[in-house]
Amino acid sequence: MTTTTMQTVQVYQVFIKATPEAIWDAITKPEFTERYFYKARIENSSDGHRSRGPDGSVWADEPTYEFDPPRRLVHGWRSLYDPDLAGEEPSRVTWEIEPQEGGYCLLTVTHDQLDGAPKTAESVAGVGWMMVLSGLKTLLETGEALVP
Amino acid sequence: MCPRVDDDRVFKALADPTRRHLLDRLFQRDGRTLTDLESELQMTRFGVMKHLRVLEDAGLVVTRRSGREKLHFLNPVPIRLIHDRWIDKYTERHVSALADLKTALEEESS
Repeated sequence: MTTTTMQTVQVYQVFIKATPEAIWDAITKPEFTERYFYKARIENSSDGHRSRGPDGSVWADEPTYEFDPPRRLVHGWRSLYDPDLAGEEPSRVTWEIEPQEGGYCLLTVTHDQLDGAPKTAESVAGVGWMMVLSGLKTLLETGEALVP
Repeated sequence: MCPRVDDDRVFKALADPTRRHLLDRLFQRDGRTLTDLESELQMTRFGVMKHLRVLEDAGLVVTRRSGREKLHFLNPVPIRLIHDRWIDKYTERHVSALADLKTALEEESS
């Protein structure tokens, strides 16, 4: 397998059959994120981006730069669960939700400003974000995990 | 355009060596320009653009503007979804069929 060089900008997209509001809830509320985001309980608000592991330990605590429900969310990213990653500079994650025809939305996740975080870039590249987005799509579209 | 939720576009996009080569180039290093992507191909700029368009329509390549440049990014999510939908299903059955065969053969020999 070819080794990847550092990707300082990463872009991921997925179509999801759900309303912008449902997608917004799924990416901002811990009771949803723990079902598809490596069991992390993530809370995104205008105050910040906070993530906790299943054992309650703090996995992330970064500022929110933009909070525009249910369209656009921009927050800092630094993984605290691994000392190597925690030692790197913070990067940035942008979530964009664009309604499409037929009840679909296009969700775009851009992870950038990774120049000072090569290990983080490596750890989230490819499978990292891919699993999150395919898990999010499954959660929202099958509905079975969606309880009020 | 209707959301590209159908697998057909992804399979069609992958069914071409030039397009797979382009994806491999982006896998090695993401965020490339058209000029960069066409450099290793014996093909006109227009030809490469057509292939990139097919990859974009399948959602496998996403473009972003950066100043005057248009950068191409690999989006692996559709391949993951194909994997979840198709590959998992058949490899699972394959594995369980082998397990059944093993059980049957062992019962026979005992």
